[in-house]
Amino acid sequence: MIRPSRSDHRVIGHPQRKIEGLAKSTGRAVYTDDITLPGMLHGKILRSPHPHAEIVSIDTTAAAALEGVHAVITGRDMPVQYGIIPWTPDEYPLCVNRVRYIGDGVAAVAALDEDTANRALGLIDVEYRELPAYLTPQEAAAATTDFIHEPKKPGHNGNVTKRVRLEFGDVDDGLDESELVVEGDYFFEGTTHTPIEPHCAIGLFEGDGKLTVWSATQVPHYLHRELARVLDLEGAKVRVVQPLVGGAFGGKSEPFDLEFCVAKLSMMTGRPVKILYTREEVFYAHRGRHPFHMRYRTGVDGEGKLKAVDAEILLDGGAYASFGLVTTYYAGQLLCAPYALPAYRFDSTRVYTNKPACGPKRGHGSVQPRFAFEVQMDKLAERVGMDPIEFRRLNFIGEDTRTINELRITSNGFLECLEAVERASDWKARFRQLPFGQGLGIAGSTYISGTNYPIYPNDMPQSGVQIQIDRSGRVAVFSGGSEIGQGCDSVVAYIAAEELGVPISHVRVLRGDTDFTPVDLGAYSSRVTFMLGNACIQAARELRAKVQSAVGEAWECPPDRVDLLGGLAVDTADPARSLPIAEAFNLAEARFGTLGATGSYNTPKDVHGEYRGGTIGASPAYSFTAHVAEVRVDVETGIVEVEKIWIAHDCGKALNPVLVEGQMEGSAYMGYAEALMEEQIFKDADHGRAGLHNAPSLLDYRIPTSLDTPAMESFIVESNDPEGPYGAKEAGEGPLHPSIPAIANAIYDAIGVRLDRLPFSPPNVWRRIREAEAGGGLTKPGAPSREVGVAP
Amino acid sequence: MHDFAFHRPSSLSDAVAAMQAAGEGKFMAGGQSLLPVMKLDLAQPTDVISLAGLGELRGIRVEDGAVVVGAATTHAEVADSDVVRGSIPALADLAGQIGDPQVRNRGTLGGSVAHADPAADYPAALLALGATVVTDRREIPADDFFQGMFATALAEDEIVTAVRFPIPDGAAYAKFPNPASKYAIVGVMVARTGSGVRVGVTGASPTPHRASRFEAALAADFSPSAIAGITIDPSGLASDPDASAAYRAHLVGVMAKRAVEACG
Ligand SMILES: Cc1cc2nc3c(=O)[nH]c(=O)nc-3n(C[C@H](O)[C@H](O)[C@H](O)COP(=O)(O)OP(=O)(O)OC[C@H]3O[C@@H](n4cnc5c(N)ncnc54)[C@H](O)[C@@H]3O)c2cc1C
Repeated sequence: MIRPSRSDHRVIGHPQRKIEGLAKSTGRAVYTDDITLPGMLHGKILRSPHPHAEIVSIDTTAAAALEGVHAVITGRDMPVQYGIIPWTPDEYPLCVNRVRYIGDGVAAVAALDEDTANRALGLIDVEYRELPAYLTPQEAAAATTDFIHEPKKPGHNGNVTKRVRLEFGDVDDGLDESELVVEGDYFFEGTTHTPIEPHCAIGLFEGDGKLTVWSATQVPHYLHRELARVLDLEGAKVRVVQPLVGGAFGGKSEPFDLEFCVAKLSMMTGRPVKILYTREEVFYAHRGRHPFHMRYRTGVDGEGKLKAVDAEILLDGGAYASFGLVTTYYAGQLLCAPYALPAYRFDSTRVYTNKPACGPKRGHGSVQPRFAFEVQMDKLAERVGMDPIEFRRLNFIGEDTRTINELRITSNGFLECLEAVERASDWKARFRQLPFGQGLGIAGSTYISGTNYPIYPNDMPQSGVQIQIDRSGRVAVFSGGSEIGQGCDSVVAYIAAEELGVPISHVRVLRGDTDFTPVDLGAYSSRVTFMLGNACIQAARELRAKVQSAVGEAWECPPDRVDLLGGLAVDTADPARSLPIAEAFNLAEARFGTLGATGSYNTPKDVHGEYRGGTIGASPAYSFTAHVAEVRVDVETGIVEVEKIWIAHDCGKALNPVLVEGQMEGSAYMGYAEALMEEQIFKDADHGRAGLHNAPSLLDYRIPTSLDTPAMESFIVESNDPEGPYGAKEAGEGPLHPSIPAIANAIYDAIGVRLDRLPFSPPNVWRRIREAEAGGGLTKPGAPSREVGVAP
Repeated sequence: MHDFAFHRPSSLSDAVAAMQAAGEGKFMAGGQSLLPVMKLDLAQPTDVISLAGLGELRGIRVEDGAVVVGAATTHAEVADSDVVRGSIPALADLAGQIGDPQVRNRGTLGGSVAHADPAADYPAALLALGATVVTDRREIPADDFFQGMFATALAEDEIVTAVRFPIPDGAAYAKFPNPASKYAIVGVMVARTGSGVRVGVTGASPTPHRASRFEAALAADFSPSAIAGITIDPSGLASDPDASAAYRAHLVGVMAKRAVEACG
């Protein structure tokens, strides 16, 4: 059931422009690299040419002596380990005695310009002792010596970052009792974020001991903490400024070497220092999608109801932990909706390899298992003789319920999502009925709207906003949010305009500076609209109440008769009576003093399972998505063309439908890119230098351009979540998930070939077509038909 | 990128003289291949000599049954040229498939053939059409021009001034592009000419080459089925994560067949 939505909003729910859109489209928006400070130096980082080696010695004398060089630092200058997850700090700003991937930072230089800095890097003499490199997770898991990190306990394999085994219900019994069990092996290749803007940071250390770091980061608050800790500064003397960010997608959601290096180099030189990554460095910094090796067993009963799911997952983590602890949990925890699973088990292991570290990319940790799971669903539907959409409906988990792993589900518009894409794609008339080579596929998914728990344990709010009102009628929102292009500055502006009755253009959003904004934890896990939005509503409503009360007093009417809208305070009982909003604000200021309010949001803490790991995956609300993809397969070349993707997404409530559609299409695009093209892969010893990135440039790394992007049609489903701001949940990551399995399932409908390994690039598809031809020929699959043994 | 001296000669002979005087000189036309390798420090010329201002390298005209295209003609100009479209539509079609609009508006025919990237498109056309490369000092038949990966018959200081493409009876180009760069993973041009059927293959191997077995089969029977049974030996073909040698060998057959179909 869909909860009704309030229809009397004037701003919320209506199409609006992004508030920074004009500056961006006219080139006036300021990104970190646009900032130039007087006397600024340029830094460069020397990177390891070896995938795994011990640093025997570093001689920086010649580099330091080069004219124009102001400082040279090595790992010994900052020998403090950090890591985004407080339990797994395993990185140094620059390597101290060991390098773990080609590209690991070893030393850094600040010089008058980039050319001089580059020349200086060439003069640094590093002596390495090479160690065996582990390039596949299987090799790393089997290792007995030369571990990539020291084992946490003697006798353990130091290459294993994390292993999670959880079981809910009795899986073995469930599988035994199933009428039908489908087993499959799946592989999800690693992919990276490719934001347009490379990472960039500027450090400025001033004589009074104050450090300012400008950075293209998604997490200014965590950066603030880690800078203070690693550089041994008082937090109150560190300031992080986040200019506009040119795309991030998870690739800027933890501290990076350059942020520590600009700070340290500025502390040593007294001058501002900037480092801008090259595109090649962005590929090596990575923290993108983990490659997953997955094995699933899924059982159903005679009616087609899911009985049990058993998963085994091996994550290829790269050289450092990054968010890996969370990824290892997410790999299993986020699969328990939108279908009811009576029994579920996963065994997920993340291992280090000598490659750039993997981390969170849009749909963190759950895009990979969702691919495998939804292909399993398609295989099952076919074998129980059901239409795959009907099969998903039959297994729908419902709303206001709990998943088998004890996650609390509130609103749930998944059925409406299925219906929207079923109707729009003319599914019933076309599934299994298109000519050979053309096909339709369906997939569904769920995703979190933020994590219930912050990355470091604390009881403070997850998000904060402060609003201040000026006598002119201007409203200033001091937002802790991280604007990375997703629109969170606009969201708080819409909310302030809605609640305080001012035009959006009278709202100033002041954001991205730890010196004057409250804390928000950052742009990750689709938390921002939900948490920042709620915080903003709280602050705005406090001020709204004051204005209503002051005007009510002046009009001698109850405050709730005063409405604030369209630049006016209006008497709802007598619409002829109104005041310009600035005058209403002045009445309030006269009555209450300077007008300001803070708002904050914290998650409900008692809504998850009490088992170890039960907090991971817990979210105040979940979004739901369904896609239908239509494909055309050229069986001679293996080229898959995606002709159209229909996307239906339950975002709770679209605060601005234009931005929601943008997120839905952007997500579907990114999933499509991973399905057909992307591969973050590395050379092995037989094909060049082992561990070298295969294609660290945009000329070689395959991502679709707008010309390659399929047609898309978006359907916003509004389930109006009881706890979301105006009912909103999330739209930034959820809509990516079904892209990949929907395309895989559509390829099967087109040519009868299952694709269980990513990407579905022409050579891979062609290889599978060849195998199918050798094994009995290629044909369009028939309509799903019930197998013997499955009761009607 | 390292510092270099930039020269803008106004005549062909000045350009050659500048090259001869340079320590390590490089001609530059559109810069679409040269600048990327300079940015990566794979080329570190002391002197860059621009060919952009040379009138001798410009223009498209028909002469003695051939289309003569000046070396400084951009890919976009070839793609849009009424002369090329009217006489060798396959060549215009090929030029229109190179890279993206930015690349096509800067990159030139002369730069492409002189650079001899194994994944460039033009070499397929030069070989299939039996073209002649005209330089400041001689004429070189296409069959002798391409000598290996990034290697041609040109001398260090030799400048391509034009390419002469004999007008065929019919021709078509079929390309399997790299999805990122649009360079040819395999590109095949098939042409029916007065001197027989010619098939030029690019992308598949380190050096663009003619597919002689296809040519023989098509000479006897110009139809897709004539070459359907011919398998290409993958040994010697390029192999990389974008396409294995076996896949490239398969694509040569598919692209040749599609080009023959498109020839009508
Ligand atoms: C993103 C991208 C995508 C691309 N995709 C494709 C593609 O799909 N297909 C394709 O074929 N190509 C592609 N290219 C290459 C493009 O076509 C280049 O334009 C071409 O290879 C070189 O032409 P240019 O005029 O830019 O030469 P330049 O880069 O200026 O020069 C290249 C080399 O040729 C030499 N040179 C230039 N002109 C002459 C001359 N007249 N005489 C002698 N030597 C000369 C230079 O010294 C240099 O060594 C792509 C390039 C890019 C950047």
